[in-house]
Amino acid sequence: MQKKKFPRTKLQWIWDNIAGLRIVFILAIIGTLLYNLLQLTVPFFSQMIVDRFLTGDNAAVHFQEHKGEFYTLIVAMIGFTLLRAIIVYLDCMAYEHVSQRALFRIRNYLFEKIECQDMHFYNEYRTGDLMTRLTGDLDAIRHNIAWVIRMIIECFALFTVVSIYFFSMNVKMALCIVAMAPVIFLIVFTFRKKVAPMHALLREKHAQMNTAAQENISGNRVVKAFSREDYEIEKFDQSNHDYAETNKKTRLVWVKFFPFVETCANLLPVILLWVGGTLLMKDEMTMGEYVAFSGLMWAIANPMRLLGNILNEFQRFSAAADKVMEIYYSEPSIVDAPDALDHPDRFKGKVEFRHVSFQYEDSDLPVLEDISFTAAPGETIAIMGETGCGKTSLIQLIPRFYEPTRGQVLVDDMDVSKLKLQQLRTSIGMATQDVLLYSDTIDGNIAYGDLNISKENVLKVSRYAAADEFISKMPDGYNTIVGERGVGLSGGQKQRISLARALAIRPSILILDDTTSAVDMETEKQIQKSLSELDFPCTKIIIAQRISTTKTADHILILQHGKITEQGTHEELIQKGGYYADLVALQTGKEEMVHG
Amino acid sequence: MAKTHPRNTYRVDETLEEPFNLRHLLRAGSYIKKYGKKMILALTLSIFGAMAALCAPKITKEALDVVIPAKDKAGLNRLLLLLILAYGVSILFFTIRQHIMERTSQDIVYDIRKDLFAHLQKLPFQYYGDRPHGKILIRVVNYVNSVCDMLSNGLINAILEIINLIFIVIFMFTTDVKLSLVVITGVPVLAVFLFWIKAHQRKAWRLVSNKNSNLNAYLQENIVGAKITQIFAREEENAAIFEDLSNDCRKTWMGAVRYTNSVWPGIDSISVFVRGAILVVGLLLFVEGQETLGAIVAISSYASRFWQPIMNLGNIFNNFINNMAYLERIFETIDEPVEIKDKEGATDIGRIKGEVEFQHVSFSYEEGKEVLHDVSFKVTPGQSIALVGPTGAGKSTIVSLISRFYNLDSGKILIDGQDISEVTLRSLRSQMGIMLQDSFIFSGTVEDNIRYGKLDATSEEIQKASVTVCADAFISKMQKGYQTEVKEPDPALLVLDEATSSIDVQTERALQKGLDAMLKGRTSFIIAHRLSTIKNCDQIMYIDHGGITEAGTHEELMAKKGQYYHLYMSQL
Repeated sequence: MQKKKFPRTKLQWIWDNIAGLRIVFILAIIGTLLYNLLQLTVPFFSQMIVDRFLTGDNAAVHFQEHKGEFYTLIVAMIGFTLLRAIIVYLDCMAYEHVSQRALFRIRNYLFEKIECQDMHFYNEYRTGDLMTRLTGDLDAIRHNIAWVIRMIIECFALFTVVSIYFFSMNVKMALCIVAMAPVIFLIVFTFRKKVAPMHALLREKHAQMNTAAQENISGNRVVKAFSREDYEIEKFDQSNHDYAETNKKTRLVWVKFFPFVETCANLLPVILLWVGGTLLMKDEMTMGEYVAFSGLMWAIANPMRLLGNILNEFQRFSAAADKVMEIYYSEPSIVDAPDALDHPDRFKGKVEFRHVSFQYEDSDLPVLEDISFTAAPGETIAIMGETGCGKTSLIQLIPRFYEPTRGQVLVDDMDVSKLKLQQLRTSIGMATQDVLLYSDTIDGNIAYGDLNISKENVLKVSRYAAADEFISKMPDGYNTIVGERGVGLSGGQKQRISLARALAIRPSILILDDTTSAVDMETEKQIQKSLSELDFPCTKIIIAQRISTTKTADHILILQHGKITEQGTHEELIQKGGYYADLVALQTGKEEMVHG
Repeated sequence: MAKTHPRNTYRVDETLEEPFNLRHLLRAGSYIKKYGKKMILALTLSIFGAMAALCAPKITKEALDVVIPAKDKAGLNRLLLLLILAYGVSILFFTIRQHIMERTSQDIVYDIRKDLFAHLQKLPFQYYGDRPHGKILIRVVNYVNSVCDMLSNGLINAILEIINLIFIVIFMFTTDVKLSLVVITGVPVLAVFLFWIKAHQRKAWRLVSNKNSNLNAYLQENIVGAKITQIFAREEENAAIFEDLSNDCRKTWMGAVRYTNSVWPGIDSISVFVRGAILVVGLLLFVEGQETLGAIVAISSYASRFWQPIMNLGNIFNNFINNMAYLERIFETIDEPVEIKDKEGATDIGRIKGEVEFQHVSFSYEEGKEVLHDVSFKVTPGQSIALVGPTGAGKSTIVSLISRFYNLDSGKILIDGQDISEVTLRSLRSQMGIMLQDSFIFSGTVEDNIRYGKLDATSEEIQKASVTVCADAFISKMQKGYQTEVKEPDPALLVLDEATSSIDVQTERALQKGLDAMLKGRTSFIIAHRLSTIKNCDQIMYIDHGGITEAGTHEELMAKKGQYYHLYMSQL
């Protein structure tokens, strides 16, 4: 696993993200110190009551004579305990407040960050992995702020205060006890070294399991269609098993250290008895001091016992923070140019490709080679070609999802890389091959690109897309909720909603990537007709398989192996007698005539 | 097929079928039971470990009271050895306990997750269609992780603390009944406090889990739909929605920890009043001569020891309450009824020859909205059937009923004369080759996937190619699995539901040759809009208005000049 270098360390990064809350956080830390001091002083009152009124030499007489003092001590005991309880409560809430605010801030920032990433990013990171970063990993960070840091401060506070107190009482005894510290540090150091890679691995296994589950759930229809449930169960079982085993191994690392730490913690009373006993015999220590040592020994032993938990949680945080910061500091490569042109007005819709070549970063083969064509405003361009010839890649260059390796893509004679992404993309309506609808109402799905669209316009674009008829027949009409990815609708219905969604933003440029493939012929004709009668100016770039779609286009491009091999109108291309002419013959059922 | 709930979205909190109850508790118990022996061993070790550790104060007392005043060095050494022995035993026992429990807790989580996942595989399409996928995912991964500690260490610690508590109560009462009663007065107060807290805490944590679930749902949809977001330049609006959901999570969390964080200070406060009361009451009784000082000292030390386990139980209680919200969701999913399953005594269908018969089949996805009404037809083995008609007419429904993806409202479907609801699902579905239109929907950009793969025309490669074509990132990862599948008997029944509509005509033609070879001798159902694909089928059925309106060969239907004729002519 390669370690990424971030501009800030993990703790600095957290400090950055609690800006505005730092005072609360510092107050919380002071609160922790305060309640730990109270933790040490409250037993003092009860001890005093016992000493003076119960076990003292003339306790009985003392009570009769000093009733006032007795009740003062009782009230002090109760009062300070209540005070401690209140401080503990407020302190915990302060940590929760800071950690939740930080979580809120980081989570929103990450979401925005993920949203603006380019397509390379999405090819690299799987959905389940990203989800792990925004859920489990962020929770580890929250837990670090809310609990781990508090515990570290608590342990240090207790240890320091009690050590100072011990030294003030009896240096020899205190030295013997504090001598344990280097041993503990050694254990901490070795443990951290051993457990850190385990937590990184565990986090990976967690992400893998999340990805496996996520892909299974998203792909439930395929799983059923291929009757692959048993295979899927077996596959997931592997992830589940891996995760459980890694978790065991990680936790067992501490179990290995546990006897040593526990020995150290338990050695404290042994040392006390041994050294203290000897000192008592030599009269170098009083009984009162011995009792004080013994009574406060927990303040040294408890932090030791908590060590494993704290360190484990801290390492979990560390592994998670690496993953979160990777996204936090990642930069998309496709962003507004510093000198981007401001173009607030509606685009006319001219699209031009000038000697465009394109290749995916992770592949050696060019997808597009020297593509040049121009679509005048309002024209319809049809693109045809075999599956895999580069059609989809070509249209993805227009909204600048990818950048051409050579050449220029221009809209209204401006290079798209010089336009503001927001302005460019809002003027392009696109309906892709894979229809992705959201679990929302149909109305909400159509209005996705324009939240302020009027009811009439939703109806209008639905009619353009020949979708109004089936939508209004649904039980709740436009308010029908469709499942994730449009579950409950047929393929053709989904495509039509997706088309309506693209039209709803009244784009200057409409790009349809095989959007009507699952629509029946008659409906498609209807759609073609309404696309030619839109009530706003619009350039259409349409990828299609059917001649009926391309027949009326102003210009047809035939793409083969990433190159334009034929172009012209329907009639021109038929006359030319090439690929397109073959296609026409094939589709109109005159196959035999051509190939017979 | 009655739908009880409207479809859930990220905006809406999920309803709860059944709040946490005794049955859930027993259910959780059944997972623990499997490791009963280990848990009991761990518990026993803990008890003995604790007892060994309890010897330590006795040894120290002996040293301070007897050996040190007598300046008996040898005696001190003897006691030191004893002390080391006591701690040694306790450390050993606790280490073994930890070894056992760290494994066991992961095993329990593994089991629950395994059952949950396996059950999800049995749930019908409808389950996945009715809620965002992020809400299912969070149960499988995050929720199961959360309950891990509670079901293992939490349980053992709770038992230990209770045992501890019982012993302290016994010791306390044998020392002094009157003062013990004073200690116990705190218990009803505590009970009222916890009861009050519990009611709020339960609600609050349930809300937290709902809001987290909503956030997860939105997150998943947006990561999957990132491209759509960018096409529509919706980044800002989506970020605002996400921020709202995120804020809901934050607010509900803060609401919940308000209660959780007050449990410890609450118990602490109650306990200090009790300790104060003992001292006051004790000394007043002492003045009246009813108590000895020794008894007061003893009871006041028992009182603080009495409250320590209660505080610890308070923490365990907190943990339990928080996790109930997750546990009830996990069991809700595991208990989700499987509507489509093998009937009692279902038999293997045997090798399918391919006769398919619909007898008066009616079907609806939602109650009162029939999609198919009284459909009857019969197909002889080896025939290829084309289904045509407007989108949404029910073509896909007909073919998915053959695989029994849904149960019928009425009527029967017979394959080779056997009612498909009477045979095992596995034997039925494993002999069907299905390419759904939906497999294209999540196929992502098919072109992206196969841009490097050239489709060839040999029949063997076609089979592979059809897989490639259906393959999204998801299936391609199943690729290896598919190859093993190919070795299994060839499908006896083929269903191509729009399988070729996103492929260009040339490629389809290439595929067609392979398909023809594959279709030969097999009953097949083909849904397509391209008439060139369906013209050569043995029978064409025109589906409209929930039934078959026309059926026959291409020539017959053309001669009839009905709906099919119009459809065909419109394509030219």
